[in-house]
Parts: sequence; C-alpha cells; structure tokens
Amino acid sequence: MRRLLFFDHLASAIFSLKANRMRSLLTTLGITVGIASVTMILTLASGVVGSVSRQVEDIGNTIAVIRPGVSSNQLPSVIRPVSPQQYSTSTIEEADIGIVRSVDQSLLVAPIMTIEGRLTSLDGNIGNGMVVATTPDIAKTTSLPLQSGEFLKPDSPSHAAIIGTQMAIDLFGTDDPIGQTFTLRKQTFTVTGVLKKMKNPINYNNIDFDQSIIIPYATGKTFHGGRSQIQQINIMASSQDSLQKALTEIDKKIEAAHGEKDFSVISGEAIAEPTNSMFNVVAKVMAAIAVISLIVGGIGIMNIMLVSVAERTREIGIRKAVGASNANIIVQFLVESLIISLIGGLIGVIIGILLAYLLGALFSFMPIITLETLLVAAGLSVMVGVLFGLYPAFRAASKDPIESLRHYR
Amino acid sequence: MRQKIDPVIQLRGLVKQYGTGDAEHNALDGVDLTVEPGEFIAIMGPSGCGKTTLLNILGMLDRADDGQYLLDGNDVEQFSDNRRAHIRSQQIGIVFQNFNLIDHMSVIENVALPLTYHGTSRTKRLQAASDMLKSFHLQEREYYMPWQLSGGQTQRVTIARALVNQPSLILADEPTGSLDSRSSHVIMEELSELHQKGNTILMVTHNPNLTSYASRVINMLDGKIASDKKIRVAVTASSEEKIPLRSVKRPTKDDKEADSQVPARRRKRKK
Repeated sequence: MRRLLFFDHLASAIFSLKANRMRSLLTTLGITVGIASVTMILTLASGVVGSVSRQVEDIGNTIAVIRPGVSSNQLPSVIRPVSPQQYSTSTIEEADIGIVRSVDQSLLVAPIMTIEGRLTSLDGNIGNGMVVATTPDIAKTTSLPLQSGEFLKPDSPSHAAIIGTQMAIDLFGTDDPIGQTFTLRKQTFTVTGVLKKMKNPINYNNIDFDQSIIIPYATGKTFHGGRSQIQQINIMASSQDSLQKALTEIDKKIEAAHGEKDFSVISGEAIAEPTNSMFNVVAKVMAAIAVISLIVGGIGIMNIMLVSVAERTREIGIRKAVGASNANIIVQFLVESLIISLIGGLIGVIIGILLAYLLGALFSFMPIITLETLLVAAGLSVMVGVLFGLYPAFRAASKDPIESLRHYR
Repeated sequence: MRQKIDPVIQLRGLVKQYGTGDAEHNALDGVDLTVEPGEFIAIMGPSGCGKTTLLNILGMLDRADDGQYLLDGNDVEQFSDNRRAHIRSQQIGIVFQNFNLIDHMSVIENVALPLTYHGTSRTKRLQAASDMLKSFHLQEREYYMPWQLSGGQTQRVTIARALVNQPSLILADEPTGSLDSRSSHVIMEELSELHQKGNTILMVTHNPNLTSYASRVINMLDGKIASDKKIRVAVTASSEEKIPLRSVKRPTKDDKEADSQVPARRRKRKK
C-alpha cells in the first residue's frame, strides 16, 4: 500500500491555514474554549479527589463509609459525580448501625443525618447552613477539634449543639457563643462547643463543618418523625487489617438484613469520590459548557473545512489528475482539521490549567494536573478534529476529477 | 516492459453524452480506436468534435456513457476509484490544455507533485523534478511561482509534470496551444524524443504542421473518427523525409533565445 504522506499533508495544511490566518484563528478559538473547560473541570476534580484522599491518608486508611445506593464503576465519577442524596429516602436503616457495632465492638461508628430547617438565634438572626445529627464518634472519624467548650458525649443533654466557627459568627455575631441558644423547627438548642476553623469545605462527609451545627443523633430523629434518614455511616477501626476484616462481614450482614444489595461499603481511595454538592454544581455547569462549546467548535471546524474544500476544488481536481487517491485527499483534509483542533486543544489545556489554579486559590484547595487530564484533553481534541473533519474530507475526496478541473479557481 | 501483442488502448463504440432532453448531444458518438504500444498519434479536428473529451476518458478523469475502454486489455469500467488513481499515478501523464498548475506551489513543487502520490521521499522528489526541469531548460525557474512564468515556460512546466513519474502513456491536449511556432517545435522535439524512447503518445492539436512528428494522424468530426492514417515515419529508420521539415523550423541553438522572446511578446500584448 502507498503511504499516507503525513508530512506532505502537514506542509500543505500549514500553508493553507497560514493563508487564511484570521479564519484559522477564530476556528481554533472554538476548540480552545471547549478544551479549556474540560481541562479545568478535570484539574479541579483531581484536586478535590486529591485533597479528600489526603484527609483519608492522614487518618491512616482506617476509615470506611456506608452509603445508600450502589455506586457504579469509577470512570464516570468525574463526569457524573455521585449526587448527594439529601432529599431522597435513604436505604440505610437504623438497624444497620447496630449491625456494624455487633460485628466489632471496637469500631467507631458515626451515622450522619442532615436536617433541613431555619436556624434562628434569640436576636432573630437567621443562619444558613447544615444541621448534622450524629454520634460523638464523628469527632474521631473526621477529626473535629474544638476551639472551646466540649464535644457531644453519649450522656450529653438531648438539646446540646456543637457549632462551626463561621456558623457561630453568622448566627450569633461571635466566635464564642457557648451557652447561647437557637431554635430549629420549634426545638431550642444550647451551644456547648465551638469547632476550630477547618477551612476544609471539601471532605468525604460532604459537609462543610465550618458552616454546620452538630446535634445528637437521637434528637435528629425527632425531625423525621422518630425515624432515621441516614446519609452515610462513618466507620473507623484501630488498624487497616481489622477494618478490612470487619467490612466483609458488615457487607454480608447488612445485605442479608436488607434482602438485597442497596448500599455500598466504601473504603480507601474510593471515599475520595467528589461528592461535595458545591463542586457538583460547578462541575455539571462546566461539563455542559465544555460539551456545548466542543460541539460548537467542531461545527466551526466543519464549516471552515467545507469552505476550504470548496475553494480548493480545482486543486483537488489537479491532485487527483496526477494520481492522488481518494484516501490521499481524505487524509490531506483530515490533517488540516486535526491541526486546527490540536492547536486549539493545546492552548485550551494551558488556559484551563491557569483557570483551575485561579479557582483553586479562591476555594482554598490545590488543583492537581494529572496525566489522565492531559490525555483526555488531547483525546478530545483529536476526536473533535477527526469527527468534524471527516465529512468535509469525504466531500473533497468524492469530487469528480473532471468536474473539479472545470471549476474556476 | 509491456506484453508484446496487447494494444495499450482499445476503444469500442465509445459514447459520451452531454446535456439532457433537447440539449442532449453526443460529444463522442461511437469511437473505435486501437492504439499499439509506441505509437505517436496526433488527433485533429475542429473544436467541439470531442477530442478533449476523448483524452479525458483515456486519462480516466471522465467516464464514458456507453462502449468499452480497455487499457492493457482490462476493462476500465470495472476499475475502482483507487485503481484509477493508481494507474493515473503510475502509468499516465496528462498535459492539460489550460496547464492546471497549483497556483500556490512553486514550479518545482508542482512538477514534483505526481511523485508525492508515488510515495517518493521529498528529497528524491525534488531532485527528480529538478532534473526534469533541467531537461526543459527551466532550471533557473525552479522556485518561481506559476503566475510568474511566460506562456511557453508554463507549457513546458506542465509537460515536465506530466513526465516526471515516467509514464508509459502520455496524453497531451494541445501542448502547443498557446505557443508561437518556434516554441511549439521545441515542445514537439521533446515529445518526439519521448516517442523514440518507446512511450505511447496521444496528442490533440489544431496545427497541421505538427502532425509531421506523429506516426499516425486521426481526424475527428462530430464525435466520430473521420479518417485514420498511418504515416510511415519511424523516426529512427526513414528520417530522411523528416529532416528537411525539421531543420527549417528547429530552434537550432539556444532555447534561451526563444525564452527571451516570449516575455517580449507578452509585453507587446499588454500595450
């Protein structure tokens, strides 16, 4: 078989693109926007995953969580992150907590239940944030150090509350509101402790503790009519070995109790899946922008390539007359559209990374550039270039040589 | 080289139609023709008689509507686009009436273009193109753009491009169309030299003087072959007949002189 003449086509493509500098630049821009958003999302996402896994590592890989629903495979987690199931009915039952405890008495168990409602202080300030009902073990599974007061204990009064620093300032106008009271859905709580500022909005609990209030688990249930509505159960063991041993048994026992596998037991790296709802929204919006702009950019490429093919009808005729095969012509025009999309992609990657670092600085976490991100960006560029370049290229190749030669200019 | 007995080209009842309904007419209306290897055929006839259409079909740029075209004994109608491209690339050199050079490529790149589709490396390609241009006394014009050349030079570049892939079949459509008689004979000398080397040449021309170079003259009229006569001039054997004619018109010494006249002619025309 004859060669594909890649380098010859490269030279011809570069010439053609240079001849129409402005046109090529604008077409490239379309791809740049798309690839920049993709790169930014991926870089932010790996930053998020990275910061969560660092937390997990810090605690020593002895943490596991039980979440409702069965998590699908890992790949789409970045594109379609696990949605926070705050408003849906959880499949995790209160009995499951007992099952976990029964497997290994030494396990620390912290079920997390979030409660919606308006927080009102005596002064009439209204706070915005999350109310978390959980057990005292949360302090260890998530390491929540206190700034003042004392954490919940098994024998704490039922209406004690631990408050995050930012929440304290919003609700009471001070970062030391111990002893003050607030109401949540007609129940009055007294602040007994204030959390240290964490600056860690992204964590595997899916909760920004700086903006939250922690209340005893049993009290939380009263908001759900005495039933539990568990978002996840945190489990912490004394060592990695004992954790793994316990987890297999927990998995089996809960499945037996439920009669089906409607929950997932997640440990290690997998915990780091981005589940933060703020991040979800950003990621989804960005993903939509990326997809739309990539399609628009691709259409731009197709458009410009069709113009180019029409302009060069005569050249195509000449090339065919001196022996170019259809494949030669197809590759010639594909190389041209590929160059547009690759240059656009390259600029897009650079801009995307810069934007990610900018956003990272705003939200106080480190974005991480991974090889995967670069590969995905490169792959998408190639895909758009080929996909939207194919039709014009085939059109060029299917031109009748004699008709093309008659074409004026 | 070629199989001994097989003719290069066999045409049987070739028909090509243009237009539809009332405007329909046959550009070719049942052409039968057999071309043996090594023939130099001059095709004559008034304009509109189907000469160019015939060459286009022979060069596989166009397809006949009816009839049969056998190339080296194979029915061309059965060929895939790929096979056609391959044959155009390996076997056929076409000299176009209107040159058909690519405007944005230099002379040498234009000449090297057919070799690109041979898969020849760039260096070798340019070397071969340069050699070819040298044989047409155009070595100083290598890096000119096509629009910077005179008519005669453009014509020679076109021929150089047709010959660079060393085709066995050369199809030339009025290769001297826009040239004065002196330059015409320079070109004819080149073609005749190729003929001596054993190439098959089909040439369309309006100029009866040039048919003296051919070994066979075909006259066409209204899409049909009106007359077909072989001239007994094997250039090598009985060259006596030809010598007087050629010696008169041959541009004896330097072609550069001929070149320099062409721009002068053009300058006049501009005024």
